[in-house]
Amino acid sequence: MSTANIPPRALHVIDNLSEHRFKVPAKCINDGDDVSFFLASRAYTDILTFIFQLTAAVIPRKVKDGETGKTTIREWRLQDDDITVPPIVEKLGQLMETFKSIIDEAPPDTGPRRFGNVSFRKWYDIVRERVADGLLDDYLPADILVLGSEAAVPARAELEAYLIGSFGSSQRLDYGTGHELSLLAFLGCLWKLGAFPESNDGNVERALILRVVEPYLELIRRLILTYTLEPAGSHGVWGLDDHSFLPYILGSAQLSPAISSTSEIAMEGSVPSAPDPGDVAKANAVQRERPRNMYFSAIGFIYDVKKGPFWEHSPILFDISGVKAGWAKINKGMLKMYDKEVLSKFPVVQHFPFGSLFVWEKDPAAAEIAKTVHTASQPNSSAPTARSQPPLRDPIGDLGAQTTRALWAGGSAMPPASGTAAPWASSRVPTRPEVSVPTGPNQPTRAPWASNAPLPPGPGGTTTAPWAKPGASAPSGETQGIPSTRAPWADKKPQG
Amino acid sequence: MSIGGSDLDKAIQQLRSCRPIPENQVRELCYKARELLIEEGNVVGVDAPVTICGDIHGQFHDLMELFRVGGDVPDTNYLFMGDFVDRGFYSLESFLLLLCLKVRYPDRITLIRGNHESRQITTVYGFYDECLRKYGSANVWRYCCEVFDYLALGALVTGAATSLSPTDGPLAENTNLDALPSQDEEIEIETLNAAGEIMYRYARNSDSQSSNTSQPNSNPASSSPVQTPSRVGAAGTGATSSANGSSRNDTGAVLCVHGGLSPLIDTIDKIRLLDRKQEVPHEGAMCDLLWSDPDEIDGWGLSPRGAGFLFGADIVKCFNHKNDLSLIARAHQLVMEGFKEMFESTIVTVWSAPNYCYRCGNVAAILELGEDGSNAGYVRRSNGDQGGGGGGWVLGSNVGPNGQATNSNRRLSSVLGESLQQRSRDGPGRRYRVFEAAPQDSRGMPAKKPVADYFL
Repeated sequence: MSTANIPPRALHVIDNLSEHRFKVPAKCINDGDDVSFFLASRAYTDILTFIFQLTAAVIPRKVKDGETGKTTIREWRLQDDDITVPPIVEKLGQLMETFKSIIDEAPPDTGPRRFGNVSFRKWYDIVRERVADGLLDDYLPADILVLGSEAAVPARAELEAYLIGSFGSSQRLDYGTGHELSLLAFLGCLWKLGAFPESNDGNVERALILRVVEPYLELIRRLILTYTLEPAGSHGVWGLDDHSFLPYILGSAQLSPAISSTSEIAMEGSVPSAPDPGDVAKANAVQRERPRNMYFSAIGFIYDVKKGPFWEHSPILFDISGVKAGWAKINKGMLKMYDKEVLSKFPVVQHFPFGSLFVWEKDPAAAEIAKTVHTASQPNSSAPTARSQPPLRDPIGDLGAQTTRALWAGGSAMPPASGTAAPWASSRVPTRPEVSVPTGPNQPTRAPWASNAPLPPGPGGTTTAPWAKPGASAPSGETQGIPSTRAPWADKKPQG
Repeated sequence: MSIGGSDLDKAIQQLRSCRPIPENQVRELCYKARELLIEEGNVVGVDAPVTICGDIHGQFHDLMELFRVGGDVPDTNYLFMGDFVDRGFYSLESFLLLLCLKVRYPDRITLIRGNHESRQITTVYGFYDECLRKYGSANVWRYCCEVFDYLALGALVTGAATSLSPTDGPLAENTNLDALPSQDEEIEIETLNAAGEIMYRYARNSDSQSSNTSQPNSNPASSSPVQTPSRVGAAGTGATSSANGSSRNDTGAVLCVHGGLSPLIDTIDKIRLLDRKQEVPHEGAMCDLLWSDPDEIDGWGLSPRGAGFLFGADIVKCFNHKNDLSLIARAHQLVMEGFKEMFESTIVTVWSAPNYCYRCGNVAAILELGEDGSNAGYVRRSNGDQGGGGGGWVLGSNVGPNGQATNSNRRLSSVLGESLQQRSRDGPGRRYRVFEAAPQDSRGMPAKKPVADYFL
């Protein structure tokens, strides 16, 4: 494909905001084909662009002293007090604290329960009410919130949808990477609306990561612990993490070799002070590193909630701790894995809504995707058989033609960017089946083909099943009479 | 290499130490297992005494703990209700060990299919990844999936005693003596901890009047407006009365199935008619049996799982009545206390994976059903050992001054149904053994860290 269509290095701020038409974000992904469309959409390009933008910003920098000419390395650690924090970023951090304090207003229910604590719904409702009542007015600049306020749909409708969607499911009492993605979209919306000051070598992105994203993750961990939220989409020990992905991307970037500019991003190696990747399996090293690094902060939380040998309950992370080529290598792998295991999975992205900022439109720069792409991971797939790796869209390969070798691009062995095959779509990737399912270990397993699974019963289980489809094979209202005579299966024949 | 006889014992030994057996042995084993399973009906007949187990999910060390608590194969007769694989780290070792034991002692262990014993589900939830990681190819996964297709869909336990023969275990620390039945009452339910100490014990219909009066308030959500099949006048249930101690030998059968009921299945015979030797379909009776859940609703409801259905108390009572069942035992849902009886003890969920996924903090349980009549399944302790106990029913010398308290304040734990009344059949005596996750200090760390492809 044409190398002329080069995705921007940073999310594009919308040019003519006064004429922009906002849109209430709506679900567009309903089946496997929709995921294929998504992977060629403008929304997808924007999401990836924003993730790469954030990732690049938090990589350590080489700083040259003007007087001495000596080069030092500047790392970006979690508790770094010496970074520039724009007022709006400061405010967003406070917003996270506000959400945290609402936990005190919704103490966990002490009554009997199967697993997730129903008081999470209280917390969620309070948050939703306050946001509806204008909570964001206290935290976001008026010139952002006033956008589109005379039109049918104001900008805040889009912002609020992604923000509210980032705290987990109050219905299912779970939290997973789909919700995390929603937070990313919330921040991405603000970026596109020009809410942030112009960034200087990633200083705004850094502030966002250290002052908003990490506090958000802390909030989420508090919610998970307080209300025993179930992992949405967990594959047990065979997933990277029960709930999160972003901290592994951003945390490994924090430990990558220092750069002078984003054109120097290394494929391998680590910043000299970085802990050994193998340290994730050592409890004391994790305690030491978790206050300053997002990767270890996330690992520390796993130690908090899981009992047992790390290599056993977190084998994927354990294996990654054996990577010899340093944190840059790990970072690159995490980006590939995120693209494949989060953004390409129907169960995760099916809930992502699309509006005027993350747009459900074909990206003209996107490579044509083979019809088969990803459909294997979607509902209606046949039983898995060995199948070849589907050609992934390479949103990044486009960049390869430029002098900047993107951080996610392959090493020197990379073929010239053709734009058709992802750099990681190598023959080494096993031919693995691609079925995927949302569910937590505690939460009942959901069927992978349950693309439009009905909602689970609400808190007050009633006499009839309101979600039962009329005419479904399970009539809900008719069995109340005399079950022995009008059995629901009366006019059904056994299968087979 | 053949896997008959002593080779099989060697394989068992190796798997017991949590080491996978070579691929060719797996192939052989799976072939033998299939030959065996193909002879089983969709609903396997099992005679009590039997110990019924729920989900394992690859928690191998906890499976070893289960055997420690419940007794070893073949000394104890086991029935596993599926979900051997996925999510845990040792699905392979767990399933292959159970399969080896099945081939070695076919009459002492029954394996039925769970919704995770499926190609599609295992590719999502880890078993596929695990096989690939441990063998470098998907062959073993493929062999195992072929076995999955032959697993029975359910089991029917007959000959279970309505009252428990006694254990003479000491009391667990927090046991409330006042709540224990007196020694001349039939024990319907007993809960023991992993050390064999008695945690709870309930007598059957010990105080039917107080039970009746307390029932309406206990759980309004589940008190069904439906006229439940009454024991009065129902064919085959005439002998069942509310009188204490008169229903020793007439317990109905116990249906064991992984998930639950199906709107397409009103009799057990209809389960027998299914063609089960296939991948679990996305819908239909076979799917429902492996996917459904009981819920506090009336009739049927759509399942949030997107497969199977939700079914209410009326459905269970009707099904049990029609099929002369006293109880349905199923697994499929995590319960923090390891087991949960619902719908006036007409259905029980048994969950056997403690601290599920290393983090849920739940205990696990197994359900023991004793043998009817002769009590041959248990060695009854002589009175002499009991320091003045009666028939060995109660707590022997452990009974304190309060041991004879009446049962008017019979305490039902939250895991037990709100009432034991209104069933068409008296349920079998049920002994739950509850256990926690196995200690984890002795597990060796793998020497190698195979690097995932993303990171190459």
